[in-house]
This record gives sequence, structure tokens and C-alpha cells, in this order.
Amino acid sequence: MEQNVMLNQEESQLSVEGLKVRFFTSKGIVKAIDNLSFSIRKGESYGLVGESGSGKSVTATSVMDLIPDPPGRIIRGKIFINGYNILNDLDRLVTIRIRKPTDVRIKRRKRLMKRHNYIMSGIRGDRVAMIFQEPFLSLNPVMTIGDQIREAILLHSRVEIANSIIKRETLNEDDVSKIADTLMAQPDNFTRKKLIVRVCSQYAIPELAKLFIDLFENSTDKEFITKELLSLVNTKKTGLSLEELEEARNYFLLMDRKHDLSLRLLEAEKQENEKLAEKLHLQIRAINQQLRSDYLVYSLKRRFLRRFIDKPFVEYATGRTLELLMQVNIAGPERVIDAYPHELSGGMLQRCMIAMAFSSNPQILIADEPTTALDVTTQAQILDLMREVNKTYNTSIFFITHDLAVIAEMCDRVGVIYGGNLVEEASVKEIFYNAKHPYTTGLMNAIPKAERRYEKTARLESIPGSVPNLIDPPTGCRFHPRCKFRMDVCSEKKPKLVEIEKEHKVACFLYSDEVENEIEEEVP
Amino acid sequence: MELKYFILRRSLVIIPTLMGLTVITFILLWGLGPELIYRGINSSPKVNIPLSQQALILSQNGFSAAVVNGKLVFTNPIGMYFNFVSDLFRGNWGYIIGQPLTAPTLQAIEFYFPNTIQLAVGATVMALLIAMPLGTYIGARPNSASDQVGRIFSLSGYALPAFWLGLVLIVLFGNNGTAGFGNGTSGNTPVGIIPYLNIFPYFGNGTEFLSTTAPKGFFSSTFGQTLPTHIFLIDSLIAGKLNYFVIALAHMVLPVATVTYGVLAGILRFIRAGMVDASGQEFVKTARAKGVPEGQVIKKHIRKNALLPTVTVLGLLISGLLGGVVTVEIVFNYKGIGWLAVQAALNYQAWGILAITFLFGIILMVTNLIVDVVYAFMDPRIRY
Ligand SMILES: Nc1ncnc2c1ncn2[C@@H]1O[C@H](COP(=O)(O)OP(=O)(O)OP(=O)(O)O)[C@@H](O)[C@H]1O
Ligand code: SF4
Ligand SMILES: [Mg+2]
Repeated sequence: MEQNVMLNQEESQLSVEGLKVRFFTSKGIVKAIDNLSFSIRKGESYGLVGESGSGKSVTATSVMDLIPDPPGRIIRGKIFINGYNILNDLDRLVTIRIRKPTDVRIKRRKRLMKRHNYIMSGIRGDRVAMIFQEPFLSLNPVMTIGDQIREAILLHSRVEIANSIIKRETLNEDDVSKIADTLMAQPDNFTRKKLIVRVCSQYAIPELAKLFIDLFENSTDKEFITKELLSLVNTKKTGLSLEELEEARNYFLLMDRKHDLSLRLLEAEKQENEKLAEKLHLQIRAINQQLRSDYLVYSLKRRFLRRFIDKPFVEYATGRTLELLMQVNIAGPERVIDAYPHELSGGMLQRCMIAMAFSSNPQILIADEPTTALDVTTQAQILDLMREVNKTYNTSIFFITHDLAVIAEMCDRVGVIYGGNLVEEASVKEIFYNAKHPYTTGLMNAIPKAERRYEKTARLESIPGSVPNLIDPPTGCRFHPRCKFRMDVCSEKKPKLVEIEKEHKVACFLYSDEVENEIEEEVP
Repeated sequence: MELKYFILRRSLVIIPTLMGLTVITFILLWGLGPELIYRGINSSPKVNIPLSQQALILSQNGFSAAVVNGKLVFTNPIGMYFNFVSDLFRGNWGYIIGQPLTAPTLQAIEFYFPNTIQLAVGATVMALLIAMPLGTYIGARPNSASDQVGRIFSLSGYALPAFWLGLVLIVLFGNNGTAGFGNGTSGNTPVGIIPYLNIFPYFGNGTEFLSTTAPKGFFSSTFGQTLPTHIFLIDSLIAGKLNYFVIALAHMVLPVATVTYGVLAGILRFIRAGMVDASGQEFVKTARAKGVPEGQVIKKHIRKNALLPTVTVLGLLISGLLGGVVTVEIVFNYKGIGWLAVQAALNYQAWGILAITFLFGIILMVTNLIVDVVYAFMDPRIRY
């Protein structure tokens, strides 16, 4: 078992184990997610389907650890992002005392929660990014698109930005001629273009990429090209002091290191490895000390003269924002960058959200019904865009939707969720041609089939009943009140999600007798 | 550029409002009646002359009056209205005679109004300075212990009348002239009150001991030079008299604290409500999902949106502030426009009453204009 878990983590980008989420409301405890486990592999696109209210959004928000608290809390589970369990300190953050289901006292440990948030803010948007259902509501109405994307860029790649700016400022004739050589040596225009974009971004001159490309298209004379390149590059040099830039870089390096150490400290504490914890603790202390002594002036400057200090960074981020907007095929990025959300259409906004999500090249992209609020054509474009991104960067995508057609188009594997439980998981093909769970087959039959639509008598088959109330969910299999194949055991025991064929898991007594042992202690 | 046109357009809207205001002021004048108007018609109106002669003088000044059944009455409202409006805009605001002073009304206002500006602006600035961080803090922690304290604070600010709070502050901190700042500058202690801590003066704004008469030329005679602002805090600084500045400041503490409390209560509640409302919106989740640290989420994303509804009620709060200023000025014998209003009313100074009504109307119009412009400036969704 343990080994299995280890294996899982290695090949998976994201893995969720035994997730339980509760909402403590005045009407009772909503058992929104119960013992949910799944994992998403590198570069894979994983779909989660289910009816409205089945817990899809809650699952997605849990992965970002963004469940609104109050009323919600993740009370158990592990969520591995790149092998790091973001819920390491879960048990220590709060104590939950249930007097009655309607009277739950939660004691929060502020200091630990602060540390948890600090660690999470370094992970969110950096390794996992998320886009939401309502592009109109998901962007801050009083900030320009540019400001919001720039903010995301400046949060996570500050060291890289500082390095590229330093590289740009120290770029000399020799370097330029070398660059010209490599670029000229490219076999065809296409690879050259790609390389130019990369080089330009490395040297913090992304806005020059277009001019470079033009230059190479119009000339093959090496001397001329080198001269032109040099003069182009020189226009971009701002004569910043290298010392200041290096100081900034080192400061950010230190901050990143501190974050990294804090993350490892949490892990060590979880494993009760006191020696390591002590060591990490001392290292963090040393960094704090250094920040207070060597970087005191710099951090004060950052605090009060942010506008001046960060200027080269913001300029870089602006260039990068334009580049990102172009990548998501927005027409007129120069205009869009200064626009406010209300000035753009839903499709444009969703593109901006995607650009924002990709600003730090995340390994996992969570998309919670990203196209539901859009019209059909835009929907197709956005899906295309996401697929393209998935292919180009090998980003794993966690795709949430209730639209099976979209799943068929987008995903490699699919999980079906019902009432907070995963009831079936298989490859797309399996789900569409070989669905096992009665709920999944019900969903399949609910899809309007093109041929059937023209027959007068044809009616859309739908699953009778509705999503269960999750405050008092049905006993045993949560689907049993609506199931055509209900047996006696179904209302007594809960079926376990078992692999009945290769890569095909189902939780239903029709296929396996295994029972899920519900841990009845409820709350830690 | 567009904003400029918006401001221009929005300013033009003031014109009809201003006409409305003149009508209201005129109705007030009509109601006050010719006898009271006559008393301030010029700098020394003869009182013991026959009514018919008074009517004649009134008519010569544009107020068509006649004697009917042995009583002085106004006759031609339409013509009178136009005369009155032209007088208003030419600065012919009649005279205040006798109590509390004898001067052309406009000059009296010129003299007293800066004091009120000092008080009102001081209180607004203080209230904003406190309410912004405090509202942000408690708004980010709804229903926490600090939120409850904040709520009690706000509600008490609504519930406690300014005159009561002012008296309490006087009892606690008042300086009856024996110790503390601004020595010897305080007037007499209200009957039955024995100041407790003897810290701050509570009588006037500190200029009382400089001169008790002659509103005009008062500052120039004191400092030996002409000081245009008439605001004691600023004038003393311009004159480079730090000791006067300290005195002025000491006199401001208690009245400003009293006014601030009431205004603060309102602003605090709105900022808090705005914060709670904005926290629940989707874009906050987006910000967190980007990895924005919690402190920044609150300050940058939530507060920016929370301030919008607050700005819209700022206009209302300022009218509340004007009301508050009147009582506070009386309690602290602080000679501002509110004090003048009460004195004018007590002494049947018709012209004082008219002028101050008109002035308050203009203040409200201007502050609302400013609020609108600020709002348009802050919320990009406003089309202008
Ligand atoms: N803030 C909340 N307070 C109380 N209950 C909540 C809250 N958020 C979600 N829930 C509960 O969690 C369950 C799952 O909700 P969720 O939003 O994940 O559904 P969903 O599958 O995303 O549905 P949809 O397709 O409508 O988006 C619902 O039963 C809902 O009642
Ligand atoms: S376990 Fe029973 S009730 Fe649940 S889906 Fe299977 S057959 Fe239906
Ligand atoms: Mg949802």
C-alpha cells in the first residue's frame, strides 16, 4: 500500500488521497466530499464529470486549498502536488468540536494558519493554476487586465526576471554576434522564430522578437544583421545599475529559499523528524536574520519606493504580458492590456484568464467549467486553446465539466463523481463505450443523440430523482435511491472503488463485493 | 481628458440645483417676513420710524413691501425673487446687527467659516485615517472579537449625541485655564463642571485671547501681516509662530475628537460592509489562486472594491457632519458657522439665517460633486 502511494506520486503531477470536505452550516454538516481519491499524470488531461451539486467545484477548490472558511474545511486527506503534500499540517491547523451538527466550534491556530497560507501562496499560481467558470466575475473589476496579469508574473518568477534583465544589461557585441550565428544557423524559418522568441525572453527583450523575426526574414547578411541586432538591443538597455539588479536578484533568491525551507520544515515536522526540523528551523532563522541586516535597506526601499525599485521588473512583465496575450490569440493585445474587464467579451476574458494562469508555466492547470458561460463558437476556440497549451507545455489539465461532449473532446481519462464520491474512473473510450456504473450509464443515455433528435417519439432519457441532500446523504451507496439495479446490500454498505479491469475503476456492488470501511470518527 | 469633460458636465448640473436652492432660500425669506428682513437691510436701519417708511426703504432695496392692516407684508414675490437672486450672487447678503456681532453678513461668514472648515476637514481627515486601516482590519475578520468591538464602537458613535460626548470629553480632559496646553486661554467652565484631567482647552479655537472684537483685519493686526486663509492652524504656521500653532492645535483636539467619533462610526461600518461583501466575490478567489499573499489580497483586491460603496455614502456622511458641527461648535463655544447659525437664530438675525442656509446648500452641492468625481475616478465601470 505504502509503496503503491509512492509510485503514484512519482508518475503523477497531482494526486488526491482520501479527501474529505465538510461545510459546517446552520442547517447541519454538508458532507460535500467523502473519501475521494484520484491522480493525474504528467501531461495528462483528466476530466471530472457529475451533475450540478455533486462536488466538482469543491474538489477543484480543495486542490488549491481555497475552500471558503468559514463554512468549509478539508478535514482529512492528502493532496500531493509534485510530490509535496499541501495538507501536511492539516491536523494541527484547527480543532473541530462538534456539539451538535448545527453547533460546531472550530478553533483556529492563527500562527500556524498564517504559515500555511504563506506556503500555499508560493505554490498557488506557480505550480498549479486555476481558471474559473465565470470570466466576468473572476477578474477584478477595478484593475486593468494588464495589472492583473503582471501581478501574476511578478509573484512567481522574480529571480528569473532579474537574471534576464541582468543578462540584457550586460549583453555585448560578442554575445550578439554569437546569437546572430546561432539564429542564422537554424535550418528553417519556423524553428528560428521559435528560438528567437525564447532568446528574446531570456534576455528580457520580448517586445523585440517581432523586429528580430522581420530582420531575419529580410536579410541574410551576417554583418548587417549583427549590427542591426546590436543597435536594437542597445535601445532597450536602460543603464540600470548592475549592483542594484543583483541585490534585487539575491533578495528574491533568499525569499524563494526561505519559502522552500519552510515547506521542507513542514514536511519534517509532519514526519516527526526533529533533527531535520531543528536544522531547517535554524536555516530559516539565519535567512530572517540576513533579511533584517543585509537587506534591511533594500526591503525598506521595496516597501516605500516600490514604484521605482520595481520599474524594470514591471517593464519586463509588461513585455511578457503582451507575449502571453498574443499566445492566447487575443487580437490587439496592446489595447487589451490597458482595458478593464467590463470592456471585454467573455471569450476574451477567459483567454486573459488562461494567459494569467500560464504566466508562470504551471505543471497543472485546473479548469472549473471554463466554457460553460460562453457561447458555442467561443467555447470551441477556448477548448482548442487549452488543448494546444496542453500539448505545447505538457501541462496536466484537471478539467471539470458537466458536459460529456466536452469531456470526449478534451480528456484522456475521466472520473465520474456522484454526491461527493468518485463512482467510476476510466479512460475516455471506456467511459463512452463501456460504462459500468449505473449512474454513468444514466449520464450517457441523457446525452441527446443527433439521430434520435429527429424522431418524433424520441425522448431524452434522464436519471429519475435528483442529487442527494448532502447533509443527510443516503446510507450505503449514495446513488441507491435513484438506481434501477438497487439490491438490498446497496442501502446498507458502501461499495468501494475497485479496479475491475485495467485502468477502469468502479464503485458498485454489481461488479465487486468490496465494502468501503467508513471511518466513523468523523472529525479529528 | 474624458474625465475633464465629465467634471465639466457634472458641474453644469449644479446650475439647476443652485436655482432650486435659491428658491428654497427665498421661501425661507418670505416666511421670515419683512420686519426681520428690514432689521438687516443696511448697516444701521432706523427702527423707530413709521411702517410705511420701512416699506419704502425695503422697496428701494428690491423687496416690494407694503403696509396692510397696520402690518408690514411682502407683496410682489416674482419680482422680489429675481432681485433677491441677483443680490445673492452679487454678495449683497444684508447685515447682522447687534448680536453676536455687527457686520455685513458676507463678512461675518468670511470670518467664521474658515473655523468650521478647520474643524470639519480635521474631523474628516482623522476619521478617514482611522477608518481605513481599522475598517480593513475588521472587515477582513468578520465576526471575530475585534469585529464585535468595532461594531460596538460604531453603534455607540451613532447612538451617542455629539453634545453629550462633547460634555463628557470636557469633563474628562478639559483644561479650565490652570494647566495644560494653551494656558489661560480657556473661558469659563460650564456651570457645575469640574474638569478632571486638565489637559486640553475646550473654549473656542485659540484666537479668543488674541482679540475679542473687530472681525475684519483681525489676523493682520495680530501678526502684523495679511494672512489670507483665516484658518488659525495654517495662518500661525505661515507666520512662523509655532507657539500659536500649538495653541491652535490644543484647541482643536476635543472638538475634532467629538465630531470625528460620529463620522468615523459611519465610515467604519461602510468600509466593513464593503470589505465583507467584496471578500465573497469570485475575483478574490482568482487572486488567491494566483498566489497573491493574503495581506495583498486584502489591501489590493478586496479593499479597492470595498471603498467604492463607501465613497457613494461619503456625501451623506458629510451632510451628517455639518449637522454635527453645529452642536459641537455650541458645546465648545467654537466660533464657526454652526455657532453663528445658532446665534443668528436666537437673535432673529434673518440675514444670518438665510446666508447660512444658502451656504450649507452650496457646501452639500460641492461635496457631492467631489464625491461623484472621485467615484468616477475610482470605478472604471462608470462611463463618463
Ligand atoms: N459555501 C458552501 N456552503 C455550504 N455548502 C456548500 C458550499 N459550497 C458548496 N457546498 C455544497 O457542496 C456540494 C457540492 O457543491 P459544488 O459547488 O462542488 O457542486 P458542483 O459539482 O461544482 O456543481 P455545479 O455544476 O453546479 O458547479 C453542494 O451540495 C453544496 O451544497
Ligand atoms: S451499488 Fe447498488 S445502488 Fe449503488 S449503483 Fe451499484 S447497484 Fe446501484
Ligand atoms: Mg461548480
